[in-house]
Amino acid sequence: MSLFAALNSPVGRKALTGVTGIGLVLFVIAHMAGNLSYLFGSDAYNLYAHKLMSLGALFYGIEVLLAICFLLHAYLGIVITIRNRRARPQGYKKYRSAGRPSRLTASSRTMIMTGVIILIFLVLHLKSFKFGTYYTVEINGVEMRDLYRLMEEKFQDPLYAFGYPMVMILLGLHLRHGVWSAFQSLTLTSRKLSAALYPLGLILGIGVAIGFIVVPLYIYF
Amino acid sequence: MTQSNGAAGQPRLEAKIPDGHLQDKWDNYKDAVALVNPANKRKHTILVVGSGLAGGSAAATLAGLGYNVKCFCIQDSARRAHSIAAQGGINAAKNYPNDGDTIWRLFYDTVKGGDYRARESNVYRLSQLSANIIDQAVAQGVPFAREYGGMLANRSFGGALVSRTFYARGQTGQQLLLGTYQALSHQIAAGRVAMLPRREMLDLVVVDGHARGIVTRDLVTGTIERYAGDAVLLCTGGYGNAYYLSTNAKNSNVTAAWRCYKRGAFFANPCYTQIHPTCIPVAGSYQSKLTLMSESLRNDGRVWVPKDPADQRAPDQIPEADRDYYLERRYPSFGNLVPRDVASRAAKKECDDGRGVGETRLAVYLDFADAIDRLGKQAIGERYGNLFEMYERITGENPYRTPMRIYPAVHYTMGGLWVDYELQSTVPGLFVLGEANFSDHGANRLGASALMQGLADGYFVVPYTVGAYLNRHDRADSVSADNPAFAEVQGAATRRIERLINSDGDKTPTQFHRQLGIILWNHVGMSRTRAGLTHAIAAIGELKEEFWSRVRVPGTAATFNKNLEFAGRIADFIELGDLMARDALRREESCGGHFREEFQTAEGEALRNDDAYMDVAAWEYGDPTPHLHLEPLTFESVQPSTRSYK
Amino acid sequence: MTIHLRVWRQSGPDSPGFLEDHTVTEANEHMSFLELLDVLNEQLIRDGREPVEFDSDCREGICGSCGLMVAGIAHGPQKRTAVCQLHMRSFNSGDTITVEPFRARAFPIVRDLVVDRSAFDRIIAAGGFVSVTTGGAPDANAVLISKADADRAMDYAACIGCGACVAACPNGSASLFTAAKIAHLDFLPQGQVESAHRALAMVDRMTDEGFGNCSNHAECEAVCPKGISIAGIARMRRLYLMGPLTAKAQ
Repeated sequence: MSLFAALNSPVGRKALTGVTGIGLVLFVIAHMAGNLSYLFGSDAYNLYAHKLMSLGALFYGIEVLLAICFLLHAYLGIVITIRNRRARPQGYKKYRSAGRPSRLTASSRTMIMTGVIILIFLVLHLKSFKFGTYYTVEINGVEMRDLYRLMEEKFQDPLYAFGYPMVMILLGLHLRHGVWSAFQSLTLTSRKLSAALYPLGLILGIGVAIGFIVVPLYIYF
Repeated sequence: MTQSNGAAGQPRLEAKIPDGHLQDKWDNYKDAVALVNPANKRKHTILVVGSGLAGGSAAATLAGLGYNVKCFCIQDSARRAHSIAAQGGINAAKNYPNDGDTIWRLFYDTVKGGDYRARESNVYRLSQLSANIIDQAVAQGVPFAREYGGMLANRSFGGALVSRTFYARGQTGQQLLLGTYQALSHQIAAGRVAMLPRREMLDLVVVDGHARGIVTRDLVTGTIERYAGDAVLLCTGGYGNAYYLSTNAKNSNVTAAWRCYKRGAFFANPCYTQIHPTCIPVAGSYQSKLTLMSESLRNDGRVWVPKDPADQRAPDQIPEADRDYYLERRYPSFGNLVPRDVASRAAKKECDDGRGVGETRLAVYLDFADAIDRLGKQAIGERYGNLFEMYERITGENPYRTPMRIYPAVHYTMGGLWVDYELQSTVPGLFVLGEANFSDHGANRLGASALMQGLADGYFVVPYTVGAYLNRHDRADSVSADNPAFAEVQGAATRRIERLINSDGDKTPTQFHRQLGIILWNHVGMSRTRAGLTHAIAAIGELKEEFWSRVRVPGTAATFNKNLEFAGRIADFIELGDLMARDALRREESCGGHFREEFQTAEGEALRNDDAYMDVAAWEYGDPTPHLHLEPLTFESVQPSTRSYK
Repeated sequence: MTIHLRVWRQSGPDSPGFLEDHTVTEANEHMSFLELLDVLNEQLIRDGREPVEFDSDCREGICGSCGLMVAGIAHGPQKRTAVCQLHMRSFNSGDTITVEPFRARAFPIVRDLVVDRSAFDRIIAAGGFVSVTTGGAPDANAVLISKADADRAMDYAACIGCGACVAACPNGSASLFTAAKIAHLDFLPQGQVESAHRALAMVDRMTDEGFGNCSNHAECEAVCPKGISIAGIARMRRLYLMGPLTAKAQ
């Protein structure tokens, strides 16, 4: 059996979902940190953004990698879900979790829904920001994009100010199961480590959600 | 009833014991046995009925040798055969603990434990093969318990003075069965075994005096099917469910064996039934089966009842002085570890004397308080944790705090189809393995010996003896299922099913089964009397008539229909019950699991009569009454003595 | 006790099924859940109706024949208990209990609560064994096995093949069942020889049988009568993913 076949199997797909997921989590954390620099004023935020973009090839390389991670992650999630739905054509009239040690939660059961919403959100998000109005500003004699102004403008709109946080809560929910699940899929055989890592998902989920929500609400109010 | 002596003029009861000294008989047999040409093996089809330890191991081994095997089981998977429920362990004369065990000692203990009613040569072979079984199981990946040094762990079991029992927690039967099931799966994957689950054998097809096929019912579609082969291996377990309440699984039944009996296979020693002393007592009339608690519990538990029958205090309120540890008192040398038959009768006696405990007063205490004090709760938990959990799940009581309540229950049947040294029945080509045959345990089976016997028969005995049979009888003339004999048997089986499904009675099959169970438990149970047995025969006769006129089987025959299956089996259990009672009536002595109240010592112990009954009673089907044949038992190597565990 | 039951009835694999209401007034707390169904069936037969079909055999939690969704949970609400050992003391008089078969595409319904779990046998036949034939085995103590490894092997070997893991899994995945056998044999030197090949063959078979993926819900571990850990699934995945690198040409 080839490595490709192994990776294309349900087990391999799940492992790839985990790898891409972990990559995306790292991105999300970095993005969140960047967002939070908004709180330090327009210069800090715009300089940060400018620095990133002036990385040149490296920046575009990371963007391409992220795009691949995201698309693969989404594709795998959808393919896996379709297969899973087919595995039980007739559902139960009554079904509930047996409780511990089950990790079945609202988070774990809605991965595909939160995932798809995040996917749609991302398209809109890129349209609004990355490919949004190109304001410029000059800081220390250098002309650069004024993302600070764009942010301020967008989050005056209640649709953005409240819609964005809603999606971020869903992202938190996605991470709550996703982070731990990724380690499981990447063959974490230690029961102790597994139990210890489980809360990490919850902490990251809450942390990321809060981290992303702070700025829009700060701007709006 | 006609009688004939197997030795004189009845070649059909020729045990075919090889010549030579006891220790050499099996080697002599193997040296002389004709082998089947490897190229010809695949031309032979062997039908194996049952997928438990005996059937599974035989099917896997024969397929591994190159035979074409068809294996049938009644459950939805070969992995669910009732061998899976054996808890305690499997004996083997490995002498790993260096405590003095030998093949001879295992043989001697088994013959003595069987109260000198087993065939010496078979038992010796069993002891010889015991060590190979452990080797084979370990090679298959059976996770036996180990010591910290990595060696296999052993424990003492069921009244043995040496530690020769190998175990896998309290699930030894499960692990050994999964070993055979996996070996079988290996052969299924290789295309050498066709596995046919959810099939019930309804009859045997005999052509020109030889077993040449079977008729089965597909339990999903109801189709009555026929299969032809060159030999039939019956590995269908015991008949303990005749008593309705037993530790046997719900599907365990005698039908396949009974049909073979009606086709000419003799049924030997049907009265030898084992009542296991440590079972969870009956709770109510709805009870569907009884649950065994492994005998290993008696290694650390102490059995007692209150001295005063009127004592109604909770067990922990009864001081030492008011308790009667009756096994330790009556059997100071073996104490709580006396063999099963002795322990069971002792419990019955205490309850009959009014000293039983619990709501029904049909139970005695099995108390771990001393062992917990001595070894700690953790050590006891490691040894018996899963059994304690099981007890608590069923009764709602915690055995770490309150003594268990236990009572004897039907557990195993030593009797079965008569077989010779080759495990061949009186129908040539029909081999009987494991609990379904009568051969190795005499009148009482020792703990941890059933698994040993099933696997010895399947892995190491029958692969040789089937080959010998195939060599003796040229099977080039392979019979096909188109032979008219098949159509005839198939027709009879179909008519019987139709009669059951069309009977428009008012009682459910289970009602009849319960009635039969009560008759057998009361009169053919732990202790028997002439009057009781005579009554039982009459009552069973009436029950049989009532069954066929009043049974109501719901549904149709063309679908999955559990009640139809049960009805057919109960009809056979009723007929078997009659034979059990007749056999018990004929055996005017007490031995092992057969206790006749008329034959006991002044102290109430079993009184054997070696002069008159040192024999195997093999019954040949006859209508209206069966014919008795006797195989005398001769003991050349051991001197029968009175079993004493005092 | 009086117990109201809503029981799934279905006459065959392709017939439509439905929930049917029944009441058993003679229930009692010492009864097992299957004995409650026995009582119901006796009642139905006497009333001239067809009894509810369900599988059961040993009734002591080891054969794995029984398996029902009781009140929405595979084997019912009591932990580490097969439904045959679930006693009515887990319920209250007057309760309404829904009883459904184990549902999965790979477990077609035979009748009422009886399902066909032969896919499990095929997964085992794909490689869930040590490829030895009878005879020629070395002495059982020739290879030492640490107690820790033997104990862990036994933890996984305890699987009774009931299918509750599949039934409870929102994805109808057989990962816990398959992993239990792979892990059992991988902890023992006798089984390790074929571990990589075994993992590849069994997992592929599981996929071909139409079972779903593991999404790490761990619901399977929660309903497993033997409490088998999902750590086994991680071990299975590792063997599977490493398989192409480690498996010798078979």
